[in-house]
Amino acid sequence: MEGKKLCKWFGRVAALKDVDITLERGEVVGLVGDNGAGKSTLIKILSGVYKPDSGELRFEGRKVELDSPRDARKLGIETVYQDLALVETMSIARNFFLGAEPRKRIGPFNLLDTHKMREDTEEMLKDIGITVRTAHQEVSTLSGGERQAIAIGRTMHFGGKLLILDEPTSALSVHETNKVLSYINEARNRGLAVIFITHNLYHVYPVADKIVVLEHGQKVGDFRKEDTSVEELMDIIVHGIEGDRRSLKNTAT
Amino acid sequence: MKREFLNPGTLGDIVTIAAELGVVAVGASFLMISGEMDLSVGSNFALGGMILAMLITKQNWNPILAFIFAISCSAGIGALNGLVTLYARIPSFITTLGAMMFWRGVALYLTQGWPISIFENIPLLGWLGGDRIVSTVHISAIWWLAIGVLFWIILQKTPYGNWVFATGGKRGAARALGVPDVKVKLINFTLIGLLAGLGGCFQLGRMGSMSPVWGQDLALEAIAASVIGGNSLNGGVGSILGTMLGAITMASIRIGLVMIGAPAYWYMSFVGFIVVAAVALNVMLGEVISWSK
Repeated sequence: MEGKKLCKWFGRVAALKDVDITLERGEVVGLVGDNGAGKSTLIKILSGVYKPDSGELRFEGRKVELDSPRDARKLGIETVYQDLALVETMSIARNFFLGAEPRKRIGPFNLLDTHKMREDTEEMLKDIGITVRTAHQEVSTLSGGERQAIAIGRTMHFGGKLLILDEPTSALSVHETNKVLSYINEARNRGLAVIFITHNLYHVYPVADKIVVLEHGQKVGDFRKEDTSVEELMDIIVHGIEGDRRSLKNTAT
Repeated sequence: MKREFLNPGTLGDIVTIAAELGVVAVGASFLMISGEMDLSVGSNFALGGMILAMLITKQNWNPILAFIFAISCSAGIGALNGLVTLYARIPSFITTLGAMMFWRGVALYLTQGWPISIFENIPLLGWLGGDRIVSTVHISAIWWLAIGVLFWIILQKTPYGNWVFATGGKRGAARALGVPDVKVKLINFTLIGLLAGLGGCFQLGRMGSMSPVWGQDLALEAIAASVIGGNSLNGGVGSILGTMLGAITMASIRIGLVMIGAPAYWYMSFVGFIVVAAVALNVMLGEVISWSK
């Protein structure tokens, strides 16, 4: 599998200008940049929320048009938003299958397969090491890290190929952050491509294979981890344009 | 008094009153779970009953066709509430407040404020609410039960029900996962309109007449029944069974006050007290439960 995205820009007030991003299977890409750098615009395009004004999306070698998040999910692109991952007032099982509910036909009716929902959810919870009394427990009773873990587990369960994580660690304790990072590693080991959006470079650096830096809607850096260092990346994020020139030099060599 | 309250005749009266309120309350809680409310159900209720009565008496329509037309109009009013709310992006409180006044005015205009009665013997009216199945239990109780079960199944046992909970619980999350949130709300607005019209037709069936001023408090009573039954005004939480029990509670108060010889004026005061007490109790129980975890 290859998730490949070509050039695209966005909007009247250009929120994203000619940004290229390439993702390989089993690769974690860290997407970093300050607030308003265009990170969320980019992921909303990748996940089907916005349509790009120009440029094209390619997925597994084919050109694709994403009209809605539903289209994206059908292709295997799953997005976990910072505070929009789960509905707190619903049970874990209902959340787990939201938008992709298993159905069973009884006569003319298309009913929820609640049995499968419970079993699969409990299996997934065991898989990722979360202990709850039942899959019917409300999500509001879980910690932030557990919620992220469930959202990530959902992607793996549904055979997602590309996992987009929006600030998955921003509201977590150090311990929980490390747990989430280990789930990201697990997702990579299973062959998923992962985009990890954050403004905390120190969170993404340990797990990323590649780091893309955005600023003012433009890509100002695109490095393999082994070619760079935290210091250099920080410098680019902080100093922007000079960083831009340096990254161009860097990619030229 | 106690023995009288528990006799079958009284229970039948309670269920009959609960049914007409309850049909609308089921719609109200369904819509409320998806995060919206409809204040116009009372006007829609009156209009639904009046359209049916007028088509039968003044236009000589076939009663069945007239019934289908009347509840279609009510569903249309519900859908219009939904379209305005969702596309103008204004709170449904405002849209349906306006709709409540507008359609009440239309209902008053239709008969120049007079009630409308049907004196002929029309089987349809019997089927809707006039017939009694046992003792004082009217047939509308059966329809209410059937509608309750149907909506309970939709909410608890179908993918659509999952979308309803998610849309009201956290709209952004639902949308991000591909739930068609706008469509869900629009459907629920249409359903509550349909059920409000149906409630009006039930009452027309039972009473044989409909007044353009009936159902003035219905929207708030339906919301009260939902809230007593544990639904959250913020959406995302609720149950059909709870709502039905809420409707029965309110009908019991109404009949019970009459039984103890208290002036019926106290009905609203009691309901007001119970709404506040039920929600306060809910919050307290919720806290107790979360402490014990």
